[in-house]
Amino acid sequence: MPTGLDSLKHIVVLMMENRSFDHMLGSLTAANPQIDGITAQLSNPDTTGAQVKPQPLAQFQGQLDPDPDHHFPAVDLQIFGGDTSPNRVANMQGFVKSYFNQQEDVGHSQKIMYYFAQNQLPVLTTLALEFAVFNRWFASIPGPTICNRAFAHYGTSFGRVDMNPVYINEPFKNIYDRLYNANPQHTAKIYYYDTTSSTMEVANLLQNEPALFATYQQFLDDCNKGNLPDYSFIEPNYSDHDTDSGEEVANDQHPDHNIQAGELFIASVYNAIKQNANLWQSTALLIVYDEHGGIYDHVVPPACTPDKFPASASDTGTGQPFAFDRLGVRVPAILISPWIPKGTVVNRVFDHASIPATITKFFLGNYSPRSPRETSADVFIEPNVAPVDPARNLLSLAAMRNDCPDFDV
Amino acid sequence: MALIHVPRPNAKTAMNPDRPVSGLLQAQIHHLLEAEKNLPLRHRSDIYVHAIKTEGEAAEYIRHVTEAIHEAHEIAAKKRRRGIAIAAAAEPSAAKSPSAGPGKGAGKKKAKAKK
Repeated sequence: MPTGLDSLKHIVVLMMENRSFDHMLGSLTAANPQIDGITAQLSNPDTTGAQVKPQPLAQFQGQLDPDPDHHFPAVDLQIFGGDTSPNRVANMQGFVKSYFNQQEDVGHSQKIMYYFAQNQLPVLTTLALEFAVFNRWFASIPGPTICNRAFAHYGTSFGRVDMNPVYINEPFKNIYDRLYNANPQHTAKIYYYDTTSSTMEVANLLQNEPALFATYQQFLDDCNKGNLPDYSFIEPNYSDHDTDSGEEVANDQHPDHNIQAGELFIASVYNAIKQNANLWQSTALLIVYDEHGGIYDHVVPPACTPDKFPASASDTGTGQPFAFDRLGVRVPAILISPWIPKGTVVNRVFDHASIPATITKFFLGNYSPRSPRETSADVFIEPNVAPVDPARNLLSLAAMRNDCPDFDV
Repeated sequence: MALIHVPRPNAKTAMNPDRPVSGLLQAQIHHLLEAEKNLPLRHRSDIYVHAIKTEGEAAEYIRHVTEAIHEAHEIAAKKRRRGIAIAAAAEPSAAKSPSAGPGKGAGKKKAKAKK
């Protein structure tokens, strides 16, 4: 039976910054019990031993300052609750303790448990309820931004768990080179917001292959004119800055940047695709966050296939090496297409290595070499090769929906 | 489905270019500094990155180096194209030249045509 896979020509990934699933989408359990979000049983101990429950008191800005620690040792504390014994079990009980370490203020540390009410985030929550929301999409590493974003480009961070990875001359090609060097050739772009915000993929891609990059304005033009490449990766604006045309407010949603500015940006990306009818029917948009940013989530990250490049004890900062055999904390992830049934909830496990895995399998089929983490990562769009397993195909509708939401931006 | 209104942030409070630089922007600056060291001298900034304290200052440096990287690559590409154009221009003129005779140039042209 033909499905949306037959129409699919473009895949777009928008990667936002530093928010956990429970923080952004946890409220949706009330609207759809299949969504694994906030329930009454959840809590974390503070440093006095009192149990702190998640509450819908998150604010758009000014609340998570200082920026919650999300480097490897802090995330280890958040996941394992401070247990460093050899046979420890992950319990997600260390978030308040971790945030306390930054200011030693018990009241302030409890804010790490706050989440957004559904009506505060009309864009993200609407998209999650209308299309496919992932109950088990995790950051690739229990650590910070750059190494997690590396997994989206390379399927590995080449053993790095920090913010200073350099991948030049490493054995696994990034997804863009794979597509450009394929026969037949495919097209791909990384759209950064503007040159003032630039990209987080500086050391390797920007420095060596600047032709891969274009601005967000170019993305809007490409959508309008139907010139979108096969694969697009969008980066938000990472800073408040002035431009020749006025002020630009950061829209990456990284604490302490404004959440509503990010909502507008997400809606803008969605609208740009939807407003071109040909593009809308032939595009799938994935919205995902790079990591949890130190903010509470209740789902224990699962074990995974170890990567080829372990991190040493001195690299991790915990006194223990890391084999990349456990995923990071869960993040929001939503797949959007008019071919996805409303209210889809996906329970399979994904991480950012699923991005190059999906793009590679969909556009190129078999490809090697790829990292062990990428080869074992699940794909969120099935390759359009018969027979397609209907249980795994998210773009499963036989006819395109005409009831998809529109946003007034 | 009804049109969903998306509220805008408070313009007075959302924008703060004086916000201290986050660890993320610090990492981005560090990466750009490394990239800047590989640029030809004329493309480098005179911004002292250790003195960058705010998002606004970080943004200025990030823009300078990002644009410089693109510019340096464009100049290199132009030079490459010019080199190819000179070589291409030289090739047929050699073939046309009576003094060149039917030797090298013509042979090359034929070989290319076969491809």
